Amino acid sequence: MLLIRCPYCNAERPEVEFVYAGEAHIVRPVDPSQTDDDQWRDHLYVRNNARGLHFERWRHIHGCARFFNALRDTVSDKFVTTYKAGLPRPRIEDIKESM
Amino acid sequence: MTKAHRIVGRGRIDASRPVHFTFNGVEYQGYRGDTLASALMANGVHLVGRSFKYHRPRGILGAGSEEPNALVGVTHGQGRFEPNTRATMLEIYPGLATRSQNHWPSLKWDVGAINDALYMLFSAGFYYKTFMWPKAFWTKVYEPFIRRAAGLGTAPFEPDPDSYASRFAHCDILVVGGGPAGIAAALAAGRAGAKVILVDEHADLGGSLLSETDATIAGLTGQQWLDEALAALADLPNVTLLSRTTAIGYYHENFVGLCERITDHLEHSSVGTPRERLWKVRAGQVVLAQGSIERPLVFDGNDRPGVMLAGAARTYLNRYGVTVGERAVVVTSHDSAWLAAFDMAKAGVKVEAIVDLRSDPSVDLQERARVLGIQILVGWTVTGTRGRLRIKSVRVCPVDLGGDAHILSCDVLLMCGGWTPSLHLFSHSMGKLRWDESEQRFLPGDHVEASRTVGAGNGSFGLAAALAEGDQAGAAAARELGYDSAPATYQVNGEFALSGRYFNELPTDRNPGKAKAFVDFQNDVTAKDIRLAVREGFRSIEHVKRYTTNGMATDQGKTSNMNGLAIAADAVGRPMPEVGLTTFRPPYTPTTFGAFAGYARNGLFEVTRKTPIDQWAESEGAIFEPVSLWRRAWYFPKAGETMHAAVARECAAVRSSIGMFDASTLGKIEVVGPDAAEFMNRLYTNPWTKLAPGRCKYGLLLGEDGFIRDDGVIGRLAQDRFHVTTTTGGAARVLNMMEDYLQTEWPDLKVWLTSTTEQWAVIALNGPNSRKLLEPLVEGIDLSDEQLPHMAVAEGSICGIPTRLFRVSFTGERGYEVNVPARYGRAVWETLYESGQEYGIVAYGTETMHVLRAEKGYIIIGQDTDGTLTPNDAGLGWTIGKTKPDFVGKRSLARPDMLKDDRKQLVGLLTSDPTVILEEGAQIVFDPDQPIPMRMVGHVTSSYWSESLGRSIALAVIEAGSRRIGEVVHIPMPDRTHAAVISQTVFFDPQNSRINA
Amino acid sequence: MTQARYPLSGDKIILTGEHPVTIDGLDDCARFSLRIAPSQSAAASAALGLDLPVEIGGIASSTGRLALCLGPDEWFVLAAKADGAAIVSAFAEIYGQAPHSLVDVSHRETGIVIDGPLSALVLQSGIAFDLAAMPVGTGCRTLLDKAQIILMRETANRFRIEVWHSFSEHIWNFLAAVRREPEFNI
Repeated sequence: MLLIRCPYCNAERPEVEFVYAGEAHIVRPVDPSQTDDDQWRDHLYVRNNARGLHFERWRHIHGCARFFNALRDTVSDKFVTTYKAGLPRPRIEDIKESM
Repeated sequence: MTKAHRIVGRGRIDASRPVHFTFNGVEYQGYRGDTLASALMANGVHLVGRSFKYHRPRGILGAGSEEPNALVGVTHGQGRFEPNTRATMLEIYPGLATRSQNHWPSLKWDVGAINDALYMLFSAGFYYKTFMWPKAFWTKVYEPFIRRAAGLGTAPFEPDPDSYASRFAHCDILVVGGGPAGIAAALAAGRAGAKVILVDEHADLGGSLLSETDATIAGLTGQQWLDEALAALADLPNVTLLSRTTAIGYYHENFVGLCERITDHLEHSSVGTPRERLWKVRAGQVVLAQGSIERPLVFDGNDRPGVMLAGAARTYLNRYGVTVGERAVVVTSHDSAWLAAFDMAKAGVKVEAIVDLRSDPSVDLQERARVLGIQILVGWTVTGTRGRLRIKSVRVCPVDLGGDAHILSCDVLLMCGGWTPSLHLFSHSMGKLRWDESEQRFLPGDHVEASRTVGAGNGSFGLAAALAEGDQAGAAAARELGYDSAPATYQVNGEFALSGRYFNELPTDRNPGKAKAFVDFQNDVTAKDIRLAVREGFRSIEHVKRYTTNGMATDQGKTSNMNGLAIAADAVGRPMPEVGLTTFRPPYTPTTFGAFAGYARNGLFEVTRKTPIDQWAESEGAIFEPVSLWRRAWYFPKAGETMHAAVARECAAVRSSIGMFDASTLGKIEVVGPDAAEFMNRLYTNPWTKLAPGRCKYGLLLGEDGFIRDDGVIGRLAQDRFHVTTTTGGAARVLNMMEDYLQTEWPDLKVWLTSTTEQWAVIALNGPNSRKLLEPLVEGIDLSDEQLPHMAVAEGSICGIPTRLFRVSFTGERGYEVNVPARYGRAVWETLYESGQEYGIVAYGTETMHVLRAEKGYIIIGQDTDGTLTPNDAGLGWTIGKTKPDFVGKRSLARPDMLKDDRKQLVGLLTSDPTVILEEGAQIVFDPDQPIPMRMVGHVTSSYWSESLGRSIALAVIEAGSRRIGEVVHIPMPDRTHAAVISQTVFFDPQNSRINA
Repeated sequence: MTQARYPLSGDKIILTGEHPVTIDGLDDCARFSLRIAPSQSAAASAALGLDLPVEIGGIASSTGRLALCLGPDEWFVLAAKADGAAIVSAFAEIYGQAPHSLVDVSHRETGIVIDGPLSALVLQSGIAFDLAAMPVGTGCRTLLDKAQIILMRETANRFRIEVWHSFSEHIWNFLAAVRREPEFNI
């Protein structure tokens, strides 16, 4: 069971309090009717499925109940960092330097 | 076999406490502190079982949890039979009853041993080859034979009467393994003030110290030092010592599973005491001090009872005071077996010879052997053994095969092929192994987790090295967590520096093709099997493992993996590290299902949610059905009534007078804030802006993909406050979806969501008399059709209790849903039930609810929809707010696939034979005469007997169904094919005239 | 008279001996879920008559009212049963200036108290985070066995659990099973 740092609670909590919520930084178009079929298909269904570092969303559903974003390694399973929803995607190079 | 093999006063057993136990019905005596293995050997018993495949007689090989042979069945009482218990780990207690496995009719005379003579039938991959032809033999001959023969031991039939505990625990430092390295680590960390848990799978902590005789630590014997160290640890309040506790798995971020055996070694324990406890430990740092496992040698006849590991024999002697035989031959490629031989000789056992495969063992060892009068055969090999149920002699010859063979008489053959560092937990933690070329072994590579490996498990063999490494690791781990730690020094004297070499199958002057040289004792895999697998084209060690089953038995190859790898690598012609080791997987040793289940048994297996009215339903004899985690009243049979009759009666009561239904499980979400209507507009298909406070609307929720996700009646209580209902099973999912959009897509909206599912008990009243029943009980609400029309909501009180009263119907009848605060639900229900007697009120369950709604063509999400239905597919296109610019799922409804005219659509089905009730899920075809496989064009989603209509009804999804009203389709079933006419979905009262009746 | 029924009424588990533990259902009270933007929390503090804690996990209490911060814009409010109506009207008054959501969840939850030197040990059977690291006077939402709860640490040895009533029987039976460990001193 992983430990996950919730950026809202500012605490490491056990994985059972969280649920995964898909890839992060996929923004719903402001006006979906303006997207063509391919763009909308991509928005709905096309995902990175990264092997390695992956930006993804989690929810501290049995804690503060907030959705947040994370950078996680899908090979080791471990979290590299977590940050609040709405914040920009951190640069992987910056994180690696600070590690 | 009655001669005593016990040296009373030696070892750590309690000679003042004799223990009587039975093995295969024969009573034996051992002592408190014995394992079944040590006690049996003290009674001269080596033959303890038959092997899995060939049913060869087998004895005790080792002295620890790696034991592959000595598996027994144990009876701890009624329902407490456990197969495959390792005799080497089973502590005896008075009255313990054990028996051997894999034989019939008896251990000594076993019919299955014919398999041994049919050796060629059972070589590697025999499952895949032997049982191929003729095809017709499979079900009648081969499969029954395999099923009878396969499997180790016999599973118990009764439910497990024991209880099991589990807990989470947190510590600074978890030390796995209570040998000298682990104890030194725990002492260092514990004295530094860290919170330490030290675990060991044996009854006693101490590991190799329990059988150490040569070396001294700080002037104390190994056992004296051990006692002092354990006392010191026990005095530290921050240290927890757990013996009889196996670390079974090592998971992410230092999460380690421990299985503690609490009662198995006890003759009596208080009723209700958990048998085992699973510890789920989160540690800041982990120190792995699991030691190493002695490797058997691979030669013809190496599995005969009496052939055992030399280190194990030494353990039996020094820890249990048991001499494993009277006349021993030692065969080894490692120095450690020499020490075992010396201890045996000093204890009075006749050591016939030490056969060392190496040409150059230590001169010092040879000198010591000479002093003890032991014959030394250096550069010799073992080529075979004899003896039916116990070894009688061993055949030896020079390694270079240049001289004559000798036959040496013996009753035990002690072997040692070196020591394999125990890497299981390290591997569980995803750590990669490192190949140590000089010593020909794998060692832990870089640690992935915050952990260290010390002692023999790290390749540091010997007492001084173990103590020093353990101390350093414990201190370093404590320092990393912020504790001050001072190094300790342990002065070790008298220790012999040990080394060894590794061999594949031992050299032999005989035909190796006829050798039964076992690698995996438990799965009966020989060296020849592994070479055959390679010859047949298997190159990957993972494939060789699966083809031969080497290392796949309950011992997970603890004694066989390295020998198997060495032989496979030799056969493939590649170096061992290139061939690689197979993957170690949890659990480290076989673990009971009970331990994993812990408290999650019977009523605690899963949460059963109950409504405030549940107990009333139970007392009224309701039959329940599970709906997500809830249990709901399914129907209320009167005495002797069938389900069919009960449902028909309940349906009739609702249609003719009144019925009441516990709808408390419906999901409820309170949506509050200035932007509540805007939020609802964006989320649901329907328009909400113009819905007046006090009015309700049927809301439809799609996923972004355009498919129906949920539905429910939604009431607007005030301009800024909606009372949203969801399906029972969808409550949590819908709230999660709402929060997702609100938090991440529209965080600017001023609206908040609160689950009120459990705030309210909900009593649905349906039927023409429902208003009459409510009228005298309700205050503050005008129940007239003008003031409270269908699809309205009002707040007031009922029976003096505040209520949100909805005028809604899921039956087509006049209907109300009485929401009251949950703790009053039962009382209001009972009042309504009593008051309703004058109208012949009935309580109805979910089955009647389903029938009544199906008669009206109302869908159930998840039953009539399956995640691929759009609003149009379900006939719910009318819910879509045509002028809304956007809502979740709107864009997807314009995708080309969604606009195709042959999509499956929800329709009604009326069977040609009105008495036929179709099976839900049955597939539908247009042409019943087409060849198989037929083209399936849809399926039945709901199907019932309708008492109101006097015939069966069904809902179905069918390709372009809405264009095919009136057409006949066919539903092929195993016994016959049914015909049915496609109809509209509303079967009953299509004019909705009854809603105000 | 229409009687309220409590899921756990009349139940109590008392373990005496070396390590006493008491597990008991709590009397009914008023409970609210309060949601308001953090920037508006001053108005809510005024309405409630206590300073709403701003750190998740923080608890503030005053004159019989208690607020636990569960999320960045979420508080769980406890008060005496008779005090509920006053809280509703106080918040209604500020809604125009400080829009928020105040929802009565008094009947959604059931309160359980677990008290005694081994209370943390008993709870640790079903709670995955380290209770030793939970300060007195804090609370949080979490999982106990398979049910979501709100957990508050009132003193070192006394915890209060708030759980949805349909889960309360499971929680109760779980605690009743776990108490075997201290009961048998293992």
